[in-house]
Amino acid sequence: MYGNLIDALPSVLGWANLAAVVVGVLAGICVGALPGLSATMAISVLIPFTFGLDPLVALGMMAGIYNGAMYGGAIPAVLLRIPGTPAAVATSFDGYPMAQSGRGGYALQVAVVSSAIGGIVSAVVLMLLAPPLAKVTLLFGPAEIFWVAVFGLSSIVFLLGGDPLKGLISAAFGVTVSLIGSDTITGYDRLTFGHLELLDGINIVVLLVGLYALPPAIDLLEDPSFEGTGKRFTLGTGSIWKAIPSMLRFWKTWIRSSFIGVLVGILPGAGGSMAAFLSYNEARRAAKNPDDWGKGEPEGVAAAETANNADTASAMIPALTLGIPGTSVAAVMLGGLLIHGLQPGPLLFRDNPDLVFGFMWQFLFGAILLIFLGGSLATNSFAQVLRIPRPLLGAIIIALVFIGVYSINGRMFDVYLTLGFGLVGYFMDKLRFPLPPVVLGLILGSFAEENLRLALRIGRGDWSTLWHNTTSQVIIVITIAVVVGPMILRVIRSRKSDTEA
Amino acid sequence: MKLKTLIVSACLVAGFATSAMAEYPEKKIEIIVGYSAGGGTDVMARTVAPFLERYLGNDATVVVKNMPGASGQIGVTEVANAKPDGYTIGTYNLPGMMARTLDRKAGYSAESFTYLANVVDDPNVIVTPKGSDITSMDKLVAAARKEPGGMTVGMSSLGGDDQFFLIRLQKESGAEYTIVPFKGSAPARTAVMGGHVNMGIFNLSEVLGFRDDLNIVGVARPERSDLAPNVPTFAEQGFNVVNGSMRGFVAPANLPKDVEDKLVDAFKKAYQDPEFTKAMVASGNPVSLAAGADFKALNQEQFEFAKKVWETTPWK
Repeated sequence: MYGNLIDALPSVLGWANLAAVVVGVLAGICVGALPGLSATMAISVLIPFTFGLDPLVALGMMAGIYNGAMYGGAIPAVLLRIPGTPAAVATSFDGYPMAQSGRGGYALQVAVVSSAIGGIVSAVVLMLLAPPLAKVTLLFGPAEIFWVAVFGLSSIVFLLGGDPLKGLISAAFGVTVSLIGSDTITGYDRLTFGHLELLDGINIVVLLVGLYALPPAIDLLEDPSFEGTGKRFTLGTGSIWKAIPSMLRFWKTWIRSSFIGVLVGILPGAGGSMAAFLSYNEARRAAKNPDDWGKGEPEGVAAAETANNADTASAMIPALTLGIPGTSVAAVMLGGLLIHGLQPGPLLFRDNPDLVFGFMWQFLFGAILLIFLGGSLATNSFAQVLRIPRPLLGAIIIALVFIGVYSINGRMFDVYLTLGFGLVGYFMDKLRFPLPPVVLGLILGSFAEENLRLALRIGRGDWSTLWHNTTSQVIIVITIAVVVGPMILRVIRSRKSDTEA
Repeated sequence: MKLKTLIVSACLVAGFATSAMAEYPEKKIEIIVGYSAGGGTDVMARTVAPFLERYLGNDATVVVKNMPGASGQIGVTEVANAKPDGYTIGTYNLPGMMARTLDRKAGYSAESFTYLANVVDDPNVIVTPKGSDITSMDKLVAAARKEPGGMTVGMSSLGGDDQFFLIRLQKESGAEYTIVPFKGSAPARTAVMGGHVNMGIFNLSEVLGFRDDLNIVGVARPERSDLAPNVPTFAEQGFNVVNGSMRGFVAPANLPKDVEDKLVDAFKKAYQDPEFTKAMVASGNPVSLAAGADFKALNQEQFEFAKKVWETTPWK
């Protein structure tokens, strides 16, 4: 197998294939950076055009876009508090405060280096461990996946913000939105009010741009005077190579977040946002100064960005070996493979080793290219958008958002939905309801429900099937340790300090 | 001078008008696909398009337009409501498209279409995990009879060909199963491979790439498939069940007869092209042609079966 890996290298190094990766990364960064456009969308737009292309050229572009977009999403998250992709939500926690205090350039450099590291680790894991890790995926049936979803949902506890009640209301809103659409098990329509457009549920991008992109854009319009102009322009951009040594102290976070990202990637359905949230939480817990997090701690940016890129190539592991995509981007990529007659499954590795292993190399090159292309592109081009007068910038963002949302399915309905969510988001913002719980609730709510019901069907109504096997028990223990553990510790510590006092 | 121009232009207009009547197609033909780019149906449409161009002649251009949503319903409704001029055709899936007219308020019915050609017939198969000792229908039915409902069956969604196959099988074998409907066939297949369910019902193309990790117990065709000659049919094992998922092309109802003939003819010629079969099989589409009236009869048969199932054992 590793022989195949080396054999595939020469064809990847052909100029057309390399150029495809470069173009893909550049396009991906741009798509990721523009709110409303996502990697999923870019790749699905690209797929029809790749029909006549050489497969490796097409796959190289897709791999590049995926890697590029996962980083690109960080750019508006840092500069404008608008995550460019769902996975960049956690990046804005510390990235935006950094930009406000004049360290936006450094935040972007941390983001690009961390993204590249996550991407490289993920690509190497894909290259070396795909078949054995596919066996790990097989351990996860509906019961086990249900517990993974519960684990993800319980991490909402850390995202509640100052007011737990408001946080829980936000989470409940997200879960409710996730229920919209045709019930995946019985096929009953839920909360669709007879609209065919709602049968497939609410697209995460529609919700995301509604909640995250529109309110800040409206803010830009509301307040045309440029607050802190001077401050924002000192982006703090030096050469990225000079900045890297100062980042080496994040090595623990890089390792931990890469591990989390890869792990979330091989589990079906969860995706980059969950990876980013989990790794942000874990990094903060491990930090010596957890109270500074959310106020501009570069390590927070590193944690989120490492994890959402570490999730890219690893999400291709279940996609290529089992046909089950770990993320929505991996799902459209499967379509891109299918269009070139490449059907996922173990036979793919045997029948088309040059293509499969070539594709893996392209993931690696895409991740490495991020440092070269991403750093300068972000700071030299995208950061300049802040020079645009605020009302103009707001208007441009709103236009971009609507174009992006319209192009998901080519219908106005989604634009109206986005407007609706924009209104909700605007008021949530003003009333200080935290937004991250909504995103996690939407991603994991119906996902947990679906798998719970499948597990109960398999167990024929017997709830004990949920904790009968070892994999489930392990996840349950981890969940309790991570979520309940800190609370118990806090109680014990406060008792101790009480008695000492 | 003026008169001359007028006459010339009149002649030109008349010339174009008659040529339009005589020589379909004279502008681009759109195939509406009710799924997003890269899905099985989409790949079928994109594979078919160049062959249609070749056999329609007249420098025809065929483009694919994706209108995803509501399991293909949005796209097929668009086709039903399009102008019947032969420039809008669409992909059509059975039994799904007919089943949706039963379990949902649909904006179309069996009468909304001109049936051009069904080109794909992907037969159902039963698979079990590699380590399972259930490798034949005898063993499977014996296990299912031992404990009614004790066998859990993974499949993709209710109200599709997978479930209809199971209903046909239950009638033949008289055993009860517990259906576990996943969101799509890939997660269901993974659950079978991981041993989380006892067996799975899929389409042949969905399991061919996983032959080494699954036992394929049988295939629901009248005779064995060329794609898996070692897999016995259910009929061979004493259960006369034939069922599958079908994909084809329809146009709006009331298509002019000459346009219909031309399109049906082009599909027939494409089907006979060995290159076409090769391209289709490579993209996981086992081909089988039912053109024109045959397709219409096939649709009617599928509709009546779905209706019977819906009336006796509704799936929702």
